[in-house]
Amino acid sequence: KMTFFPQLLTGKYRDTQTSITDSSAVYRVSNDKSANVTLIDLPGHESLRLQFLERFKAAARAIVFVVDSVAFQREVKDVAEFLYQVLVDSTVLKNAPALLIACNKQDVTMAKSAKLIQQQLEKELNTLRVTRSAAPTSLDGSATGGPTQLGKKGKDFDFSQLPMKVEFVECSARGSKGEEGDADFEGLEKWLAKIA
Amino acid sequence: ERGGNNSFTHEALTLKYKLDNQFELVFVVGFQKILTLTYVDKLIDDVHKEFRDKYRNEFQQKGTLGLLNGTFDFKDDFMRLLRDAEESSKVRAPTVMKTFEQSLKSQKTVKCMIETRGEKPKEKVKNKKNKGSKKEGTEAVAAPGKASVGDKQPSTAGDREELTKDEILQKNREEFFKRHMKAGEKSSKSPKPEAQKEKGKKPRVWDLGNSNAKVLDYSNSATNGSTEACPVEEFDPDIALGDRNREPGRLYDLEYESDDEAEEEKVIQNPSKPSMKKGGLGGMFGMLKGLVGSKSLTREDMDPVLEKMKDHLIAKNVAAEIAVQLCESVAKKLEGKVMGTFTTVTSTVKQALQEALVQILQPQRRVDVLRDVMDAQRHRRPYVVTFCGVNGVGKSTNLAKISFWLIENGFSVLIAACDTFRAGAVEQLRTHTRRLNALHPPESHGGRTMVQLYEKGYGKDAAGIAMEAISYARNQGFDVVLVDTAGRMQDNAPLMTALAKLIAVNAPDLVLFVGEALVGNEAVDQLVKFNKALADHSMAQTPRLIDGIVLTKFDTIDDKVGAAISMTYITSKPIVFVGTGQTYCDLRSLNAKAVVAALMKA
Repeated sequence: KMTFFPQLLTGKYRDTQTSITDSSAVYRVSNDKSANVTLIDLPGHESLRLQFLERFKAAARAIVFVVDSVAFQREVKDVAEFLYQVLVDSTVLKNAPALLIACNKQDVTMAKSAKLIQQQLEKELNTLRVTRSAAPTSLDGSATGGPTQLGKKGKDFDFSQLPMKVEFVECSARGSKGEEGDADFEGLEKWLAKIA
Repeated sequence: ERGGNNSFTHEALTLKYKLDNQFELVFVVGFQKILTLTYVDKLIDDVHKEFRDKYRNEFQQKGTLGLLNGTFDFKDDFMRLLRDAEESSKVRAPTVMKTFEQSLKSQKTVKCMIETRGEKPKEKVKNKKNKGSKKEGTEAVAAPGKASVGDKQPSTAGDREELTKDEILQKNREEFFKRHMKAGEKSSKSPKPEAQKEKGKKPRVWDLGNSNAKVLDYSNSATNGSTEACPVEEFDPDIALGDRNREPGRLYDLEYESDDEAEEEKVIQNPSKPSMKKGGLGGMFGMLKGLVGSKSLTREDMDPVLEKMKDHLIAKNVAAEIAVQLCESVAKKLEGKVMGTFTTVTSTVKQALQEALVQILQPQRRVDVLRDVMDAQRHRRPYVVTFCGVNGVGKSTNLAKISFWLIENGFSVLIAACDTFRAGAVEQLRTHTRRLNALHPPESHGGRTMVQLYEKGYGKDAAGIAMEAISYARNQGFDVVLVDTAGRMQDNAPLMTALAKLIAVNAPDLVLFVGEALVGNEAVDQLVKFNKALADHSMAQTPRLIDGIVLTKFDTIDDKVGAAISMTYITSKPIVFVGTGQTYCDLRSLNAKAVVAALMKA
């Protein structure tokens, strides 16, 4: 995420560190309308991600969910869990912002394709629906994902069942030429232009 | 939230860091642990100041893009500062010890020391007078009271004293109003718990009439599986289950009547604020300046507020050392931060503290037991959960509740009775097994018994029984194994060793520490010692530590929910379940926001 941020803004590649706070800037979309959108990059560390999601979810017009295509096989449960939390959040469901799942690190040879990632996520989310709704309810009124059922009951979960538009895109923040190469994220830019 | 301590050690390196909250910068200095460099703190302060002054414009004007585009050519400055710091540490001569004559102690007269003690009781009397006047509700008496206190201590302490006195007054006034409000609320609360008490009391009626040795002798009980030898009692499912009027698998929630009281207190606080502004103009200027325009927070501003918050947390049953550490980290996080307009110090500190508390309670890894059980099911091995804790916290009761929940979700459970010490432990589990099987008969689950008890009587080695139970479960195809251990004090070394051995040998998937919500400062000690014992006696490189916490007896505390904070802070592991009663349906999951709301409620 942090690698995309400066590249979208300035076209240069920067070394990054794990962030502990959010960063935001205005991005000029390169299409006819030349509109401006504010990009906000949230830290992904597991102890911080929920906190920052809470803060910014109400203001989001669109969400880019970046997935590491190489480590996906290992982390599929955590990825699905976080995606599930984003999707069942009541604010997110109310606003239904456009969702782009960016499968990053496609330059590495072992990267999974977007299609495969989509299938895997659908399967995981399907299972998560069941386990989450069966969890014991919390102390105060709000059940954990109980009333907000993701997708249609009875049928297997599919991304098309969600109230918001979901797209999958492959991209690579580092490009195929190595560290300082041009990043390969035209898909990302096109999508940003579309929703602006 | 652990920002209080500013150094970190990893292998041979030590890292020290400093936060700049105004521009959101972190300065980290790393050095080898074996070198004791005295100039590190000074160096990091100097670097911080230089960097900030040099690039102040870039931060303020350009924001994020400035950070991305700007070049920060700081290397020369840094080398210079480093050289200066190294030299200064060498030059300093060893400090000469002061002789007695030079010290201040000999200069103080005896009389002067007695006088300071004498003033304190006078202050106390003044406070009592203020309290008494509050009860009558007259402000006229308060004003001369304040003025006379101001006279008594004319010099430096003027501003701060008045602030704190005003806070005491405000607190007293709140208490006075609260007492009037509470009278109305109490009557509505009382019928509810009474109604619930009726139901809960029934199954615990003991028949002490004929205490024959024969009747009480359960020693000719059977081996695994055969339940016919034990007396079959009247089993009334409704009573045991309590409040069961819903679809299977769903558990209802506790009502939290918090909103009404919160609103009333807000109303009370507002009228008392303008009165605070009336008195003592000198000390108030600082506060007014803080309300308008951007003022940066200093330690002195935050200290009184933090003191109050710390006492409030301790009053809510948070362990004392944890409350102190929490306030320290909040102070560190806010120091130097620029407040927005019209926000007071109190509100900023409260907000930061609230965020820190929610952050602590929110589970950092996933808390999804069912998901993990499904995984284990796929690999055709049982999912092993071990319960440990001190005596009497509710391990066996909550074990039964959790097995009920698992059965409702369609998993078969084997209960391993590794409590071979306490009298009646095995019978207790056998009774639960029977009840659960009566609730979920094999016929309704495709012919297999959903819950079974594996026990080998008393006096045997717990670790051995656990191992046999797990292999039995694997052979028979049980999905989950719940291992119940004996309660033990954290100071009891041989018992802690035995527990550590059980966990190290059997390598359970989940080690749950069961702790009651009533515990206070003890929570810290228990968890630290349990974890330490588990780490010490394990042979592996990465020892199995406590993975999660079950917080029991949550229905016995009103809003003194501090134990939850203490436990999660110490272990940084999530609270997996919350036990709220003695029936099978009293199992909940933690809602971080609700608990923090109850904690922050004045």
